[in-house]
Amino acid sequence: MSAGRKGARDRVGRFPGFDVLSQARHWDQATADVVMARTRPPAPPRFFAGPEAACARALLNLLTGQDGQDGELAVPVLEMVDSRLEAGETDGWRYDDMPQDGQAWRDTLAYLDTDARQRCGTAFADAPELDQLALIQAVQDLKSADWHGLPAAHVWSLWTRYACTAFYAHPFAWAEIGFPGPAYPRGYKNAGVGRLEPFEVRDARPAEDPVKDGA
Amino acid sequence: MGVRDGVRARNESAWLLPDDGARTNHRLRRDMRRFADSDEIDLVIVGCGAGGSVLAQRLARAGWKVAALDAGPFWDPDTDWVSDEAGSHHLYWTDPRVVAGTDPVPMGSNNSGRGVGGSMVHYAGYTPRFHPSDFMTATLDGVGADWPVSYPELRPYYQALEEELPVAGERWPWGDPHGYPHRPHPVGGNGEVFLRGATRLGITAKVGPVAIANGRFGNRPHCIYRGFCLQGCKVNAKASPLITHVPDALAHGAEVRANAMVTRIAVDERTGRAAGVHYIARGRERFQRARMVAVAGYSIETPRLLLNSASARFPDGLCNDFDQVGRYLMVQGAPQTAGRFDAEVRMYKAPPPEVSTEQFYETDPARDAKRGFSIQTVSPLPITWAEHIAAQGHWGAALREYMSDYVHWSCLGALCEFLPLAENRVTLADEKDHYSLPVARFSYSQCGNDRALARAAQSVMEDLLCAAGAEEVITIQRYAHLVGGARMAAAEQDGVVDRDGRSFAVPNLYIADGSVLPTQGSANPALTIMAVAARTADRLAARASGGTT
Repeated sequence: MSAGRKGARDRVGRFPGFDVLSQARHWDQATADVVMARTRPPAPPRFFAGPEAACARALLNLLTGQDGQDGELAVPVLEMVDSRLEAGETDGWRYDDMPQDGQAWRDTLAYLDTDARQRCGTAFADAPELDQLALIQAVQDLKSADWHGLPAAHVWSLWTRYACTAFYAHPFAWAEIGFPGPAYPRGYKNAGVGRLEPFEVRDARPAEDPVKDGA
Repeated sequence: MGVRDGVRARNESAWLLPDDGARTNHRLRRDMRRFADSDEIDLVIVGCGAGGSVLAQRLARAGWKVAALDAGPFWDPDTDWVSDEAGSHHLYWTDPRVVAGTDPVPMGSNNSGRGVGGSMVHYAGYTPRFHPSDFMTATLDGVGADWPVSYPELRPYYQALEEELPVAGERWPWGDPHGYPHRPHPVGGNGEVFLRGATRLGITAKVGPVAIANGRFGNRPHCIYRGFCLQGCKVNAKASPLITHVPDALAHGAEVRANAMVTRIAVDERTGRAAGVHYIARGRERFQRARMVAVAGYSIETPRLLLNSASARFPDGLCNDFDQVGRYLMVQGAPQTAGRFDAEVRMYKAPPPEVSTEQFYETDPARDAKRGFSIQTVSPLPITWAEHIAAQGHWGAALREYMSDYVHWSCLGALCEFLPLAENRVTLADEKDHYSLPVARFSYSQCGNDRALARAAQSVMEDLLCAAGAEEVITIQRYAHLVGGARMAAAEQDGVVDRDGRSFAVPNLYIADGSVLPTQGSANPALTIMAVAARTADRLAARASGGTT
């Protein structure tokens, strides 16, 4: 498995005209406050600083397919992960062979820089994108084998959990996948295969199964 | 007298909620009875979830002076809960825990609640009964353990609680066949796919059983099918003790003391009896005196509290004379298999709990494993769905492309009866939490029977989805639920509490949560945890009136 390169084009515009935020007036206030805050310019990182922030930004953007092309840096994943780590908002557990989450992030970013220097003589953030992708892929390919003294699979779990939780919390990501987001107090009236609410948009390319296409 | 009138006469919770669109009866909470630390109350309960809330409600009704302390907040669904996945992070117990073993179990959002209502605030809402066979797996199948309580002894409590929650579903043909007080809900796309696949394969599948009122119940409104059951029900349609038992408990003079973290159970060294609990509230260390103590902190925090309550008499942890505390902790193997359809399923539009089958629940001689599994709809929202896609190895552009296909997928989940093993247990880690208490270390490893059941369940789910017309299927290996860790047993060498929930070592110390379950079946545990707690409450009340406590 890999990050692939063909996806960026294919996913654009599957739900033409679908706009999650256009429905915000139907959300309850508590939910609207939480969701709309994510759409405003984020505070600068506080947990990560300087080169560490640059490394984390490069890693998180690549993990979530935000390669900067097509004007696509829509979700501030670094800042969302940073604010969680700054607040100590963990998932409530860690593997016994991993440090606590904050330290694990700092350690693994440093190891990524070490690998980048060895491969291209630069910090990870300054490496060419193809090298960055290869360096990330190398960690995933190790599976549960050792990476700088940590089980690579547990490092991968840490990275992807934080990255996916941040990215798919954002209304931009919901629009991309056809998900309308908050649903209180309105709820749904047309559940069932093939049935839509008036504010939902049908997939314009329903037969484009990424599994079948072997992305 | 109809069922509803009967329910109201013994548990008025649904009628004590407001009927004006607000979800919390603020007056009831403001006027709540408040005990002083120096009052020797009849019972202090540690934890206000499925077990603790039922115990509090029952014994408050019996006239006891009861206070239930909970480490988390006293939730107000209107202001504290949101219709959003990431914004619901505070519903989970996220204080640090360490997971270990060959098959470590993630905690947090997967299985651990926080605040009044406990994990039932964010459970899906499935409330099946255990089967009669679950109470005697050692005798029937030579695995697991026999309970010191039988199914028929629990049946009346199941019936009573199904009315109190209330539970909606079709007539249930499995285990001890029974009906439900509310009719089944209409199903969404995911339930439709499950039912279609089952019909084509000749597998019996049924709608329910879910603790979501179908129609108004007291002042609780009808479900609006918004799909955010796991984020706390802002509608008050899905049952949790916060709305099914706590209001009635307060109305009968119980105190619910939120944001009070119990750190240690005090046992009088001279009498050998529990004297109360040490706790921390607003940064201050306090002590609540009580005639009896009941622990209901669930399978991780209950053993942790006992281990953290070591003393000269109990050097290895309270009630741990036979090295039983923390052991036989169980999780269900919960592989989830998803299928891809050209049609749009949009599984987020309906409660995730819709349809289940228990056809594979019992031991099947044709399988290479003892015991069995159930299969249910699960319907993950985007962040959880991304976990599925990432588990296939996808990241970056590929992750985004797969995710853009979300509306086309249907997702089923299995609950496999993984066996209780002595070495799967909670111990104390070196690490400390922000109260300076050692955190729990939970070590978990599967056995061969467990792996065989997970494989069999995955294969049935793949067949179901393909029969329904799926072109592709993907599977993620997960766990669900927690039970055990302080199990009940017939003899003190084999467990921590007796058949009534009373600890073998301290005569006025009880445990009333999921940690007392000796086996887990393939059923979601919430209803059984409540039923066992309700039975414990009855036994306590009976002993009190008989003067034997």
